[in-house]
Amino acid sequence: MSATCEFQAKDYKSDLKPIWCPGCGDYSVVQGIYRALAAIGRPPHEIAFISGIGCSSRIPGYTTAYGFNTVHGRALPIAQGIKLANPDLLVLAAGGDGDGFSIGGGHIAHLIRRNIDITYIVMDNQIYGLTKGQLSPTSQKGRITVTSQHGSLEEPVNPLLYTLAYGAGFVAQASPTDLASMASIIEEAIRYPGFAFVNIQSPCVTYGEEAQQIKGLKAISENLSTLGHNPADRLAAMDLAQQYGRKLHLGVFYRNPEPAPTYDGLIRERQAALSKGALPKERILDLFIKK
Amino acid sequence: MTTRGIDFKALSLKDALDLAVLIEQEAKERYEEFAAQMDQHRTPEAATFFRHMALNEAKHGEELAARRATLFGNAPASVTRAMIFDIEAPDYDAARAFMSPRKAMEAALASEVKAHAFFMAAMPSIQDQGVKLLFQELSGEEVQHQDLVKAELAKLPPDSGLSDEDFVDEPAAQ
Ligand SMILES: Cc1ncc(C[n+]2csc(CCOP(=O)(O)OP(=O)(O)O)c2C)c(N)n1
Ligand code: SF4
Ligand SMILES: [Mg+2]
Repeated sequence: MSATCEFQAKDYKSDLKPIWCPGCGDYSVVQGIYRALAAIGRPPHEIAFISGIGCSSRIPGYTTAYGFNTVHGRALPIAQGIKLANPDLLVLAAGGDGDGFSIGGGHIAHLIRRNIDITYIVMDNQIYGLTKGQLSPTSQKGRITVTSQHGSLEEPVNPLLYTLAYGAGFVAQASPTDLASMASIIEEAIRYPGFAFVNIQSPCVTYGEEAQQIKGLKAISENLSTLGHNPADRLAAMDLAQQYGRKLHLGVFYRNPEPAPTYDGLIRERQAALSKGALPKERILDLFIKK
Repeated sequence: MTTRGIDFKALSLKDALDLAVLIEQEAKERYEEFAAQMDQHRTPEAATFFRHMALNEAKHGEELAARRATLFGNAPASVTRAMIFDIEAPDYDAARAFMSPRKAMEAALASEVKAHAFFMAAMPSIQDQGVKLLFQELSGEEVQHQDLVKAELAKLPPDSGLSDEDFVDEPAAQ
């Protein structure tokens, strides 16, 4: 880890100009990330930011961290590989609801059960934005899109319940309706020692529904701390999470008060244990040569 | 429009001036971002207007910074940019691709209203007399800015009747 030195939000902003539609919620999300990273204070070269494909997945390019805009749905396995190869890096993964819960939905369970120490941020706009407005796994039932002309017949995935049920140690929700709390939630997620998930309701102003724009979100938002929710209570968190889609609860749903060991930490320990009895590299051939 | 970790009761005149400078800086940067977004979406009139707003905010920020320097020199600041969110800066949500000059001005007007509301809401907590006077002055200026934007809005010819929706690509089935 580097010596501590003061960083400001602007130090994490790259020279690349975002090409999101003006008004897109993702502009606020990237600001929240700059501010959270400044509060954490790790230099940009010690951060790896991995995404899949989608409008939201462009986000690493707008930061000065090392970035990898990978393949649709594959942000998590690649982020996992990076964390295991270099556990000293602060690893962030991000993408859209389609990227994370449709094509990439199978990966989340495995990162959670291994408890890889990365922070996963999903910009949940309940639509496929980049490919121009098709139904996504978090779209509400009845939603009319170009791929559901008579209204969707499917129940949406609930990202909060999904991650809580698999045992994620940190699950939170934020939205651009409150940038101050978004920044502090992301900061808290990064500080959590283990897999941390932040679902951000980030409106798509071009293909999203009216009810999911800032005004609509404000009307249904409620702060978990003002509700008196205890983030150490996983069952209470699951209870609240069931209201996803009807209420917008902002804040930390669950933070494991006794974080489990991380997979990357365990690997390090095992490597150290096994290397104790190992021959030094220059004598490795001795194992194969009969004296 | 939120703040984080600011104790308005304990706010000194130096902190208040620093805060005001930060608010202007945030607004200036946001208008510059909006102007760049408009350039990218080939909306030159709105881009020009947002650049004009960025210049105004910059000028106001410099005036306040000069006042701070005269009164308090290089004394270290105890308020930071991380403590303010979207006070006078228009919300990201206020921009739209292909927005008309009218829509751009309305976005700026909403931000001036927001900034005025911020100073008014803080006022009852302020203890320091100098800060009170400064906040009164700043909230008064926000009202003047609103009047200026309203006057500009009144000069505009009526909108074409086209909405930004008319310019957006249709959804595609893929
Ligand atoms: C393997 C593969 N399948 C499909 C696509 C087409 N595709 C690109 S982005 C995307 C979905 C984008 O939606 P989401 O992940 O929610 O991101 P958003 O654009 O809404 O931020 C799809 C289906 C692709 N690039 N690769
Ligand atoms: S299509 Fe939607 S999600 Fe994509 S940049 Fe535009 S507003 Fe954002
Ligand atoms: Mg999406």
